[in-house]
Amino acid sequence: MSTTTTKVPLERKVLSENDRLAAELRAEFARHGIRCLNLISSPGSGKTALLERTLGAFDPAMRVAVLTGDIQTDADARRLERYGFPVRQITTAGACHLDARMVAKALEGWDLAQLDLLFIENVGNLVCPTSYDLGEVAKVVLLSVAEGEEKPLKYPGIFFKSKLMVLTKIDLLPYVPFRLDDAIANARAIQPDIEILRVSNTTGEGLETWMEWLRRPA
Amino acid sequence: MHELGIANSILEAVKTELQPHPGARPVRIAVTVGALSGVDRDSLAFCFEAIVKGTPFELLALDLKEAAADELQLTCLELEEPTP
Repeated sequence: MSTTTTKVPLERKVLSENDRLAAELRAEFARHGIRCLNLISSPGSGKTALLERTLGAFDPAMRVAVLTGDIQTDADARRLERYGFPVRQITTAGACHLDARMVAKALEGWDLAQLDLLFIENVGNLVCPTSYDLGEVAKVVLLSVAEGEEKPLKYPGIFFKSKLMVLTKIDLLPYVPFRLDDAIANARAIQPDIEILRVSNTTGEGLETWMEWLRRPA
Repeated sequence: MHELGIANSILEAVKTELQPHPGARPVRIAVTVGALSGVDRDSLAFCFEAIVKGTPFELLALDLKEAAADELQLTCLELEEPTP
């Protein structure tokens, strides 16, 4: 039997199934007027600490919830649930990122009509979470001054896709060789439109501008 | 790190695209990988080889092409189809 070779042209994203689910989530968030933010950074850059500060500063009537992702343990959820807002841990059991299916599953049983703001704290990783749309209105990347100012150049994907970069641990600036201006220039070289804030979760410096950013209409 | 998941997504997509072509053997799948996609091509090629080994897809070649920005797309599937 002879064979013929056929070329089938495709125009299909590799992650089309994730993107389809993410689009459903995005539509659902929009329908309920929920602003969903996807927080991404290296492990230990201060995502959980920033959320602790943020939840602690909110009025108890604020309609906010948090999904927090980790490979193992519910330690972050336990840190965050002390503030009285709904918090759920997503344990990925090995996966280095959250995907839209995990988010959809974690939201089951929550009345989205009761929410205005949803934080998704991704697994600590600057690479893999970049590829997975979670239905968020914006990605927020955190970079601590204890890391390095060249990180936006080394991990361009996440800085390219983020609306906001939060420089964290700025109270450490006198003690580390981090060049703030270079970090900002590097981030803007990758994403000219990126907004940049500087905060210290320890001293509270800069947190007011972050809270203001959260209040600003998307 | 997540290239294994991406490799699985590519294989699943190939299986879906094969459905309208009964009896066809997939020869080559072309995928464009943008420099800002967060996906490493060498690592993806390695993972893909690992997951097709010992399966009916063992001879399917993964053809990775450089692309702009964060593109991560399947662009062409080459099949060998039995001539009637």
